[in-house]
Amino acid sequence: MKPAHSLRYSVLAIILGLSSLAIVVQIVRIQDSSSASQLLAQAARYSGEYHTIYPERGDIYDRWGHLLAGNEQVYEIGADLQQVVDPKTIATTLNSILGTDYAQTLAAASIPYVEGKAQYVVLDDFITPEKVQEITQLKDEYTKQASENPNRKNNPSLSGLVFTPHLKRSYPEGDLASNVLGFYSYLDRENGRGFFGIEEKYNDLLAGTPQEVWTPFDPHLVQNVPEVQPGSSLILTIDREIQASVETILNHALETTEATSGTIIVMDPNNGDILAMATTPRLNPNEYWKYAEVFPSPTPFNRAVSQTYEPGSVFKVLTMAAALDTGTVKPNTPFLDTGVFEIGGSYIHNWDGSAWGQQDMIGCMQHSLNVCLAWVASQVGATHFYDYVRAFGIGHQTGIDLGGEVTYPLRIPGDAQWFPVDLGTNSFGQGIAVTPIQMVMAVSAIANQKGEMVAPHILKAMVNNGRQYNTNTQVVGSPISAATAQTLTNMLVESLQQESSDALVPGYTVAGKTGTAEIPTDKGYSSELTNASFVGWGPIPDPQFLVYVWLEKPRTSIWGSVVASPVFSDVVKSLVVLMDIPPDNQRQLIYKQ
Amino acid sequence: MTDHIIQAYRQAPWRTQMQWIGVFLLALVAVASVAAVYLNISARAATTGREIQAMESKNDTIERQIADLETKLAFLTSAAQMQKRAEDMGFVPVDAATEQYLVVPGYTGRQLAELAPAPGPDMVTVPLLRSNYTQSLWEWLFQGFLAPSQENRSGEVQP
Repeated sequence: MKPAHSLRYSVLAIILGLSSLAIVVQIVRIQDSSSASQLLAQAARYSGEYHTIYPERGDIYDRWGHLLAGNEQVYEIGADLQQVVDPKTIATTLNSILGTDYAQTLAAASIPYVEGKAQYVVLDDFITPEKVQEITQLKDEYTKQASENPNRKNNPSLSGLVFTPHLKRSYPEGDLASNVLGFYSYLDRENGRGFFGIEEKYNDLLAGTPQEVWTPFDPHLVQNVPEVQPGSSLILTIDREIQASVETILNHALETTEATSGTIIVMDPNNGDILAMATTPRLNPNEYWKYAEVFPSPTPFNRAVSQTYEPGSVFKVLTMAAALDTGTVKPNTPFLDTGVFEIGGSYIHNWDGSAWGQQDMIGCMQHSLNVCLAWVASQVGATHFYDYVRAFGIGHQTGIDLGGEVTYPLRIPGDAQWFPVDLGTNSFGQGIAVTPIQMVMAVSAIANQKGEMVAPHILKAMVNNGRQYNTNTQVVGSPISAATAQTLTNMLVESLQQESSDALVPGYTVAGKTGTAEIPTDKGYSSELTNASFVGWGPIPDPQFLVYVWLEKPRTSIWGSVVASPVFSDVVKSLVVLMDIPPDNQRQLIYKQ
Repeated sequence: MTDHIIQAYRQAPWRTQMQWIGVFLLALVAVASVAAVYLNISARAATTGREIQAMESKNDTIERQIADLETKLAFLTSAAQMQKRAEDMGFVPVDAATEQYLVVPGYTGRQLAELAPAPGPDMVTVPLLRSNYTQSLWEWLFQGFLAPSQENRSGEVQP
């Protein structure tokens, strides 16, 4: 190679080398510049997208697996503004098929497309698949027409309509057990939540945990998309068939007694499972926006847990339990009823104002004698009596897993508002207020024959992340002994049978007690307005159900023995069939086998 | 003399050039091979990535449809519907007084709903995506040559 050429090559090499070096330097400089981080951030922003995955809300089942609350697929209809060519046809179509407002839809679909600012508008939501199919068919038809007549002006078009599926809360049983379920405000897709009942109490469990997920557009950057677990599904203690039957019986009872409202609770006294809880009024949770119409203030959503009332003579069961457990009385303890008993300077009279003469404790319960029970309470003594009342959970919430439970404070000796006469009136359930569920929990200690008070509960099991977690029975106290529970049960069996009560069920031995309570008004207690109740359990000696009936202000008769007892009987007749409980004689045969 | 001897053993210039060209071509082939492998894997990864995205979307759709169908079924078998169908078929509610009971040996009664297995020791959570699908070629080589394989120690589910 000649030197001259060598020089030229050297110069060329230097130029190319310097150019390369300059490029490298520039690359490094750009990478290190102040704009680099902004450019990188901008690039990152367009490399994918964040989107929040809302888990499917958990289902709610009854104890046998019947779906009480689930989710169904509906569609959001929107307009992709860049694709919209015929807003008028869109507005007309949605108006005719969905009933949307023509002017509003036209205005929304006519918004000019602006990149990043006006790209998509929602035209309607919660549309059924059938309606969407109808619109889709029309859209396809218009597309076909346009392709067949491309030169025709003003071809109708639904181009730009977008259908986005999603789930909405749904209650297949309508208003069945709605007072237990509550409702979910599904119309608010961003901030919907459960109200009342199970939907409120277990809202967090049912809702699950929303997750924000980064989805890269670059398919090379495939990532492990986190599996968003649906909300936990709940299995309730409620038996759908029993609930339906009890609601039917309650509706019928309200018609025949003309009561303003009613409540029936059915519980397994052995484990606290609530098998049915029916109250009025009831709301179809699929139309939860009618809440204010169905429940005008101050109507509680679920009277069983959210309304206190003076229970009347059903409370005598607790008074007698305390007396038996302390040994103050026995079933055959004699009592001479003179028709009046003086306590704390006031006089207690019987419900009919008359004297019932010589009685024993069974007779006192059978005839529901206020005078007798006031005497019994005085013999027990205020301290012991209120110790028992508190031990039975009166004055405290039961802790049942439903939203909105209330309680009324128990007045006891020493309180400013307690007077000695209260011992007498409280003994037969006046001057003391409870919720039906408090009475049910208290009486469970007697009904299960063990003296153990079980916590009432609605949740039987929870299904989370593919596993089922069952709840356990909770014994919340032993206010009385098992012997006391059995003795009192036998007393109440006998008193019902001797009374030939309307509560009796042929073939089955049941125990129970009626209650008729006067309702306090602004002008004192009214004998015209009463709360009629009945608490009973069976079959004896192996109780499997505890039934509580409360009818508010019945008009055909004010007495619990007349209006509430037959309701108890109807419920039990239904229960023994639905729970496969044979009559006493057949059960004995089966046990022998 | 010495120059002649050196010249006699020196490679011919064309041989030296051929050696350089050979080395260059070898390197070129190596680079091309790596590039081809990379492109091939990259293309397959892209295709698979898109397929995964499509399957995820389909999975969401199917899950929605399952929930929808379960609810529709529940509507069709609701207590009110079932009672109406039973009445339409001529059934009447059984009366407690007329109901007959039979002892069925071995029958333990109706079982409570069991929608999922109880929690147990088999509850081991494993990552859905194996590390093979996220690691680079370099990471794979590094892991393969220099580090013991983690595959069998991670408890991952093998396809």
